[in-house]
Amino acid sequence: MKKLLLLITLSLFFGLNIGVQSVKAQVMPEFELATRGVMSLNGQIANGRTSSATNDFSDSGVLLGLREKLYNDYRGRLVVGFQFPDAESNLGQIYFHQVFVQMENHTNTFLLGRTRLYSRLIDFPTLRDDDALDFTDVLNPFSNGINSQDSQFGNIIQYGHVFNQRYWIRAYGAHFAQSPSILGIQETNFSTNGGGGVLEYRVPNSQIWNRPVLQQLGLGANIFSTRRIPGIDNKNALTSLQASTIINLKRDPVNFVDLRHQTLYNLGFSGIPHLQSYFDLTRAKSVATYTALRFLHSKLEVPTYQLSLGFGYKTFMDLKRSTNEYQLVANGFYRIGENFDVGLQYEFKHLNGNLQALNGGRSTLQALKLAVIFSTDFLFNKQFDSRNSLLNLEHGYIN
Amino acid sequence: MAKILRMNRKEFLTKGLAATTTAAIAPYKLFGKEARQRNAKLFSKPLKPTINGEWKEFHLYITIAEHELVLGKKVHTLAFNGQIPGPEIRVNAGDKVRVFFENRTELNHTIHWHGLYVPWRMDGVPFLTQMPVRPGTTFKYEFTAKPFGTHFYHCHWSTMLHMQSGMFGPIIIEDPDDPVKKEFPYDRDYTLVYSQHDVNFMRESLNDMLNRMKQRTFLMKKGDVDPERFGIFDNYDQLKKHVEHGYQPPYLNNRRSPDGLPVPNYFLVNGKAYPDAPIVYIKEGERIRLRLINAGMKEHYLHLHGHDFWEVANDGRPIKYPQQMNTVRLSPGKTSDIIIEGDNRGLWAFHDHDSRGSTNNGLYPGGTFTFLAYEDLPEHEREVEMMMGNMKMKKKLPIIDLDE
Repeated sequence: MKKLLLLITLSLFFGLNIGVQSVKAQVMPEFELATRGVMSLNGQIANGRTSSATNDFSDSGVLLGLREKLYNDYRGRLVVGFQFPDAESNLGQIYFHQVFVQMENHTNTFLLGRTRLYSRLIDFPTLRDDDALDFTDVLNPFSNGINSQDSQFGNIIQYGHVFNQRYWIRAYGAHFAQSPSILGIQETNFSTNGGGGVLEYRVPNSQIWNRPVLQQLGLGANIFSTRRIPGIDNKNALTSLQASTIINLKRDPVNFVDLRHQTLYNLGFSGIPHLQSYFDLTRAKSVATYTALRFLHSKLEVPTYQLSLGFGYKTFMDLKRSTNEYQLVANGFYRIGENFDVGLQYEFKHLNGNLQALNGGRSTLQALKLAVIFSTDFLFNKQFDSRNSLLNLEHGYIN
Repeated sequence: MAKILRMNRKEFLTKGLAATTTAAIAPYKLFGKEARQRNAKLFSKPLKPTINGEWKEFHLYITIAEHELVLGKKVHTLAFNGQIPGPEIRVNAGDKVRVFFENRTELNHTIHWHGLYVPWRMDGVPFLTQMPVRPGTTFKYEFTAKPFGTHFYHCHWSTMLHMQSGMFGPIIIEDPDDPVKKEFPYDRDYTLVYSQHDVNFMRESLNDMLNRMKQRTFLMKKGDVDPERFGIFDNYDQLKKHVEHGYQPPYLNNRRSPDGLPVPNYFLVNGKAYPDAPIVYIKEGERIRLRLINAGMKEHYLHLHGHDFWEVANDGRPIKYPQQMNTVRLSPGKTSDIIIEGDNRGLWAFHDHDSRGSTNNGLYPGGTFTFLAYEDLPEHEREVEMMMGNMKMKKKLPIIDLDE
């Protein structure tokens, strides 16, 4: 103790720093900058009544990442990202959807922080990530349904392991966002309220030309430690099972066609006869599927245009009244410059049974969106290769 | 002061020294059997030809390999016969040479015989003298070995990337009437191939090219070869017509905007950087010939301490009036032969005097830094400790300097 005091005194006297091993940074990390700007003109028709929203820029955002090698064979990464949430959300002007630290080596990955949830196993070709959320994502039962981000992003602690470059196993605990019951009251308790796991076969993008048919096959489970419904069900956890696949129908690099499919099975709580609220919607037994067919034309080794057609169907099996919904999403994107696309998307959604009342009596919703999208992903100060590069996958992994 | 991983001096002396005493550059380790065997491997033995009638036949193949540039730093490279530089081809002037070049990669390649008077169809420039050697195919190069002297071979497809990624090797054409042998009869003959590498550029570009080639190979198998997609046109007029109809060549910055041109951060001698670079041995009274080849893209100004040497050949051709100097300029694509006379025994540094060439990833010393070592140096002169008295140091001196 005396020595420490002496050291502190001497250090203050000589103007030295205590506890700082190296003030000068030895390694400038890799720096990643990803941006996505989605600006759209929206026209909507609900039960014959039209409305429009000009200049919808939700889902636009920025990701900043730093990455460097650690002293062992691991790599460390910090990502901070924010996006502009939907206009009707109560998340404010900016929402930090990605804030995490990741450590990974050749076969293991640890992640801690907020990032995309495994509420869905694969991405679908829609203009915005939440355009078919009811069908593509396990809905967060802690949410009040106002913010789609509640079902997309969460605070997780995750471990992942990859076998033979393509077989992933992931396990995670999560804090799924709990929508405040009173607007303006911020969530302060971030304790774990769920978790899950994913088994997945996935061909890395760089090797898409090596595999003729199967690109992805996944199985997953989302488990929410929800409150039981008093007197109705004595289960403590709400479980959703997931299955997904991506099949390359035509793996031609110029005219590429793939088919994506995902099924979500919400085991639900028993004893929910009607959907009276979002609370019921997320807890009632249901099956949701989404299938998308995508055609991508790449003339000069980068995408030129893309056409896709997606169809989602969801049904609630245990309700007293037959309740289901379906949605059609058709879109096309044309690249007018590197990273710069224009797109047109049409959505048709039909609601039956309890869902009509839950959506203000509407049975059909149509939307037409004309959009421009600017999306970039750049890495500066490159220093090392990624796990999924062709060199590392096919010619020996170099850390 | 020598440091490894920012150890302080005390830590270095107690830990670092123990960890590095097996390295061959310790002065008192330079002359051991192990060090010499290791060093010998850094000079490629000439590839053995097969004699087929009047032809000397050689087999070269190209593959992607993991290569350690210097202790702890591995990269993916293109490697002739799995090594960098490629094996030395040594023939006599006038020999009929046949080289079977097998492409074991998914990329296109050729071999250009730099400085040789080969038939133009054998010159290895894709789309000018030959079609590229496609993945999985073998091309046969045939020529008569001339002129005599120090030369090298390298890939001429995507030269900036493929050469930098390791596709080069020496070809030495000997002649009994070589005037250098007559004027400066020498005892030993070393070949030193210099190269410079931006390892980040290599990695990114190789990945990019492999990715593109997988797609292109897929399309070519279908016979789908679109000039615009491949960036390959039959002639200038065809290119011009496409541009007039809206085609934008890949060099325009609305098509591609690369980080910039490569900036080397590793500098190699025979595929290795200090402290792994090869050491040149000599004996007092000996004459040695160094065949210096610059297979890279940056100039070196190679300076030898404690000696002048004779520059006796340039680009393989003998110099009529050899010059004495202590620094020789070695431009990209250039070969220079020098004669060193063993008249000042000791351990002498031999390095690029543009100090950037003597760095590893920006840290001096590294890169081209190597030694001329008199192997008959008396035992008592090999001891570095003899200097300790002057420096008032009680402990052993550090022997490897990685971070000045």
